[in-house]
Amino acid sequence: MQTVDIPALQDAALSALAAASSSKELEQVRVAVLGKKGSLTQVLRGMGEVPKEQRASLGALVNVARETIEAALAGRAAELAEREMETALQSEAVDVTLPGRTRTIGSEHLISRLTREIVEVFRGIGYRVVEGPEVETEYYNFTALNAPPDHPSRGLQDTFYVRDRSGTASRVAGESEVLLRSQTSPVQVRIMEEEAPPIYILAPGRVYRRDVADPSHLPQFTQIEGLVVDEGISFAQLKGTLEYFCREVFGPERSTRFRPHFFPFTEPSAEVDVSCGICGGAGCRFCGHTGWLEILGCGMVDPNVFGFVNIDTTRYQGFAFGLGIERIACLKYDVPDLRMLLEGDMRFLRQF
Amino acid sequence: MKVSLKWLKTMVEVPSDLAAFARRLDLTGTAVDEVLQTGAVLEGVVVGHILTRERHPNADTLWLTTVDVGPHNLGEDGRPEPLQIVCGAQNFVAGNKVPVALTGTTLPDGTTIKKSKLRGVESRGMNCSARELGLGDEHEGILLLPEDAPVGAAVSDYLGISDTVFDLEITPNRPDCMSMFGVAREIAAVYDTTFELGRELPEPPVEGEAKDLVRVSIDEPSRCPRYTAHLIRGVKIGPSPLWLAERVTAAGTRSINNIVDVTNYIMYETGQPLHAFDFDTLTRDEEGRVSIVVRAAGADEQFTTLDEIERRLTPDVTVIVDGNAAAAAGVTVALAGVMGGLASEVTENTVNILLESAAFDPGHTSRTSRNLKLFSESSSRFERGVDDASCETFGARAAALMVEVGGGSVAEGVLDCYPAPREIPVLSLSMPRLRSLIGAEIPDEDAVGILRRLGCTLESLGGGSYQVTPPSFRPDLEREIDLYEEVLRIWGMERVEPKLPRGEGRIGSRTPEQLKLDKLGFALRASGLNETMTYAFASREDTALLGMRAAEGREPVELINPINSEQTELRQTILPGLLRSVAYNQNHGVPHVQLYEIGGVFNTSEGRKQPRETQRLAGVLTGSWNQQGWNEEARGVDFFDAKGVLENLARELCIPRLRFVTLTADEAPWLARGQAAELRSGSAVLGWLGTVHPRSAAAFGAASPVVAFELDVAQLLRAAADAREFEPVPLYPAVTLDLALVVDGCVPAEKLVQVARSAGGALLADVRVFDVFVDADKLGAGRKSVALALSYRSPERTLTSEEVEKLHSRVVRKLEGATGGAVRST
Repeated sequence: MQTVDIPALQDAALSALAAASSSKELEQVRVAVLGKKGSLTQVLRGMGEVPKEQRASLGALVNVARETIEAALAGRAAELAEREMETALQSEAVDVTLPGRTRTIGSEHLISRLTREIVEVFRGIGYRVVEGPEVETEYYNFTALNAPPDHPSRGLQDTFYVRDRSGTASRVAGESEVLLRSQTSPVQVRIMEEEAPPIYILAPGRVYRRDVADPSHLPQFTQIEGLVVDEGISFAQLKGTLEYFCREVFGPERSTRFRPHFFPFTEPSAEVDVSCGICGGAGCRFCGHTGWLEILGCGMVDPNVFGFVNIDTTRYQGFAFGLGIERIACLKYDVPDLRMLLEGDMRFLRQF
Repeated sequence: MKVSLKWLKTMVEVPSDLAAFARRLDLTGTAVDEVLQTGAVLEGVVVGHILTRERHPNADTLWLTTVDVGPHNLGEDGRPEPLQIVCGAQNFVAGNKVPVALTGTTLPDGTTIKKSKLRGVESRGMNCSARELGLGDEHEGILLLPEDAPVGAAVSDYLGISDTVFDLEITPNRPDCMSMFGVAREIAAVYDTTFELGRELPEPPVEGEAKDLVRVSIDEPSRCPRYTAHLIRGVKIGPSPLWLAERVTAAGTRSINNIVDVTNYIMYETGQPLHAFDFDTLTRDEEGRVSIVVRAAGADEQFTTLDEIERRLTPDVTVIVDGNAAAAAGVTVALAGVMGGLASEVTENTVNILLESAAFDPGHTSRTSRNLKLFSESSSRFERGVDDASCETFGARAAALMVEVGGGSVAEGVLDCYPAPREIPVLSLSMPRLRSLIGAEIPDEDAVGILRRLGCTLESLGGGSYQVTPPSFRPDLEREIDLYEEVLRIWGMERVEPKLPRGEGRIGSRTPEQLKLDKLGFALRASGLNETMTYAFASREDTALLGMRAAEGREPVELINPINSEQTELRQTILPGLLRSVAYNQNHGVPHVQLYEIGGVFNTSEGRKQPRETQRLAGVLTGSWNQQGWNEEARGVDFFDAKGVLENLARELCIPRLRFVTLTADEAPWLARGQAAELRSGSAVLGWLGTVHPRSAAAFGAASPVVAFELDVAQLLRAAADAREFEPVPLYPAVTLDLALVVDGCVPAEKLVQVARSAGGALLADVRVFDVFVDADKLGAGRKSVALALSYRSPERTLTSEEVEKLHSRVVRKLEGATGGAVRST
């Protein structure tokens, strides 16, 4: 039998391993050395022909060579795999500035979003949300809110009336006892009829006024009404509540002021202004050079209103406020034309 | 209410810092809407001296004048040079001083003076009449200025017509502030100072007895608590003196003539509306007396107001009647408190005046204005309430002023019919209660001082209690709370320290419906829909165009006073609004539209007062979800995109037993035949979805295809469970076998799934349709191949392949049997 130079074989295998430049080449080397017909395998297969006395030493030599080669093979394999993965990744690199593949999520309407934000502010101080009908009776929209019987806001010029199908005739020609609510305040009355104090509610909803749609008017818009009835309620608390609201919605740097006003259903009544966010109160075109933007009306619930719903005024007091969401939308986003809110223009809706 | 600062200053001291003054008014409840500078409009009008006056060479009625305007026109040598102005007036001579509008000046009526040629002669400016300057109605000739008027001076400065006008918002509860006098009183209360009505008028000459000449009677005192009349005889109607014209102009009315201007002036000054009748148009009885009757108008009575419009009256209208007129019920001469009649109007020939100063009931006045759509300065004051206590005083003041500016005399005595003096309530005021309601430590003396300055009389009852009598001009002070408001607004809302109400036991929570509604919105947006809002109004055609029929006995809610013919009723469906929005987008180059709206729809029935209001959820999809990208194709939306949205929604809302049932063209004519379905949960109908019929889409201007849905929100929320029950996550693997079944084209996929489920029983964990194809050559005409993936799994063990195969063949057998289909050999 021809003698095999094991160290030479090992050296040859190791250098072949080192020379392999890919996993594929490496595999060829493995097969050539350790495969069924591999050079080292051949040596092991030929062991039987090796003289007995040499068998042990040669066996040991071959085993060492195999282990060495296998270890080197594993190391080289890992090395090549790593390199190949790197190469592959490099070839798969993308232009990260190309647009992503999305299923675009929809947007919430600006008015809904603002309504939700405002509701959350008041929910945080313990208010519940309630609702009422959009087609109301004159009683809830006006009478029970202490509006005088001949108040101009009841007129056909200002309020939408619908045909009363119950057969009742109206006092003023052409009017009716059924109307599209011109404010969310009737919800106040309905809640006070149904529930006993303490009452802390917020009533958002759609309201209607007979204005022709133009950049600053809509015949249909959104209000939020707030009502508190409890023991020991004061004007100071109304002020504190609305100042908290303004800070939350407009930001802590904005200030508020209360201007005495008149509403039939509150007394004392006030309008609330927030300082102009554009000029910071110095006066600019946005705020009509006053430094202030009117945002809501409020006041202490008029005792006459409590009278309509039989709430004991010696025990309970209350305050109420109402604000227009479209107005807040204009103030926060400077929407140039309110009609955009009702057009459904995707380019507008998708901005919010 | 327009308030001239110059006029106001004659009544009360006004701080010199006008910005601070306006702020203070704002903060005490009199909003300053606008601050205007008047007189500025006369910029460019200067005092001119007429040097020469010659006939125009080419026109008999025109004059050629040279006018010295001082430094406003300089010659080449830099020295003042007279202007050549052509003038049509006849009332002047050389040497007069007149107002000259220089070229480039824009006059109050909007005309701009340009250099021009009149009949061939150059004219550089205009000599102005009072009317051209907005100073009165006089336009016969140019306004002649006093001889000592300084040449070249600005006319507005010289005449002192530069003024600041505050436009004040007077709230409806403050009739007293609808006058200069009332505003002065309010300012005096705010600043704690004094005020006065203004110049005392000299006693007018007296002639004759009023009671011999006029009688007054009131039929219903509730319509007219007081009616006073003065008789002024021998006046000469003419232009108003400049100061009078100027004041009524500043207050916002055109100067008409001296008598009409006095009625307006006194109204602005005192808040008392007045009406001047031409006394000689009224009928005298045999004793020579005129009879004035205040009563209800007759039914269907016709009356021509001084704006020359004939109006039809109802008995709700209060009228002033010439009681001696031939007609049995007398002849109406004025609508009480609203407008006078054409027949008794003061004209340039009027000599004798019957001056009415009355208090009419706010309700009738307001209704009359609204019913006749006739709103006047007078009606706006009566609507709020005119103080009956001062009718006579202010009427007398007007009579004296008429004599001063128009001559003549006043008849002795006043005709005063005063059947119903307003009772002034005596109010109690408790300072502890006031402090508790306001939440501020307002001292007694502050409150007392404020109320006194506002005209109340107070009597202390001790212990912070007072008896308060409001003044007659404050009918709004009826209750104790009204006094709190007065104290608070003058004391200062800004001085009240803000607090929050205590919060014991108060929790801000959502109802289960509100929580579900929130989820509904999130699910729709997560599915890619954008929320919108459209009008709740509709036209009668909207449902007709869609072919939608209301349920038996359900009718649209009609508006009595719609704004336009497209919005005459309340909508019964949201779809038209959304289709209009689709059209809007398509017309603006936005082809991909995904919208939803949650909002009310309405219907009513005979006998109902308030209509039914239902919340609906509607959506529309058109174009594609995505724009074509560098790595994806744009795919147009179809029926199954809308269906997918609703499946997502049902999943999020935990709506069980969801079914889509075909709607026929007859059931849903607004949807394309074959692409229309009803959405149900079990047997409850939730709404519809489908591809909008191209004809319906086109009716609202939208290009097809548009897929849409509309669901009933209450039904949705009712069907929605609060949460799903937990199911254990599978422990053992499933075996999934695919199957392609060739069936008749009309067999619904749902049928295959149902049959497979029932045959597969509990071990068939899932059935999924993953392919459908039609090929007449391979499958036969009218046939389709539906591929199902069937997953078998036991929750207890790993199924053997024998078990699965056995069960699967059973499922296949049942499918073939139930549908008449055959498994397709692959």
